[in-house]
Amino acid sequence: MTLPRPVTGAPWRRARAPAVPLLALPFAALLALLTGAPAWGADAVEAERNAAPLARDWADLGLLPDWSGVWYPRISDQFAQERANRPPWKPAAAAQIAALEKAEEAGKPKGLFVNCLPEGMPSWMLISHNALEILFTPGRVTMLGESDGNRLRRIYTDGRGHPDDPDPSFHGHSIGHWEGQTLVVDTVGVAPEVYLAVSEAVGLPNNGDLHVVERLHLAGPDTLDDELEITAPQILSRPWKTTRIYQRQRARRFDIVEGVCRQGDFRSVRDAQGNAIYVPAHLTSDGNVLPP
Amino acid sequence: MPSATRKDPPMHASSPTAARRLAAAAILLAAAASAYGHHSFNMFDSDKVVSLHGTVQEVQWSNPHVILLVNLDPKPEGKPALWSVECTSPGNLKRIGWTRKSIKAGDRVDVEINPLRDGSAGGAFHKATLLDTGQVFTAELRDAEKAGDGY
Repeated sequence: MTLPRPVTGAPWRRARAPAVPLLALPFAALLALLTGAPAWGADAVEAERNAAPLARDWADLGLLPDWSGVWYPRISDQFAQERANRPPWKPAAAAQIAALEKAEEAGKPKGLFVNCLPEGMPSWMLISHNALEILFTPGRVTMLGESDGNRLRRIYTDGRGHPDDPDPSFHGHSIGHWEGQTLVVDTVGVAPEVYLAVSEAVGLPNNGDLHVVERLHLAGPDTLDDELEITAPQILSRPWKTTRIYQRQRARRFDIVEGVCRQGDFRSVRDAQGNAIYVPAHLTSDGNVLPP
Repeated sequence: MPSATRKDPPMHASSPTAARRLAAAAILLAAAASAYGHHSFNMFDSDKVVSLHGTVQEVQWSNPHVILLVNLDPKPEGKPALWSVECTSPGNLKRIGWTRKSIKAGDRVDVEINPLRDGSAGGAFHKATLLDTGQVFTAELRDAEKAGDGY
């Protein structure tokens, strides 16, 4: 069993040499004040570019811990966490959550995700029952999910910061850095409509200003812990800390398969000409499929 | 009711021993709650198990839930004969040993489901027995957890 290899530093945080000589900076700043435009405009544009990786950058990936394989969520622990470590909902949110829990107990669960929009952040990490894989490339960590083709997280580890005003998205804008063998990920820019969900039937839109900090690290040879600290000031009274556990699978039957959520809205049939086509399935508003 | 021929067949790609183990696991886990994705399964009555005896008319091997359409035999009087059975996703079924041909159109089956609470002709997959071979299939996701390298 391969143990994580030592990480000597944080390869993607290496600062590149400044393109503007330091002595020129005061002059450039004065010019910028006078003209209203940065004198080092060409270099500023250069800083916005993604540098081509060098052979050294690819080689340095070997210094990172081994997160290869398929990671499958420990579902039994998700359920245990759902009961044992509940989010600190604000009173108004808690009342809505209580109503959702009551509806689910009564056999009328609200289908938070039956519209097939992505679970997004942080719900994907919290409640998914599907596998994910984690890819390292120079300056980037990429998480690829299974069900829903668009479950995808791009975590930039090239030293960049967040944009001042990121466009809202399901998975937000994520930057990461390595602290030893732990990947620390900071995520902002999640759309307010994206749920903070504790199950498929219980959760609320984050309503804005969501901030997630994660510390991902191997807790054993084949166990990956994602320690999350979720700040959602519109619905939580304080930051919520919780951990989700993923188990590594190397058997090929665990390999990720394509999963397109909306495929379930259709049946595959043959038309009068013998063509294989999709026709709408008979769906209930709860997302259940009934006979045609 | 057609009689079931109970054999001990090889399970798709796995060995006969694995088939026996899976069949035994099916019995042990029959009472365990199932875990699914995409939507909560509480619209199904987990306290009730209904047995659908008939022939598989169609298998939709698709995300987020594999669907089996089962035609009841004999046809019940005054009630729908065609039932829809929701399983978990193709990826998760593969992880616990299914293939997309494990249960096929034309197979004679006995499928245990947790029925929809509203009385519609649908339910959540619990266990299936192929009547011509005796093969048993379950879909308990936590089996996949236990099958992992991390345990």
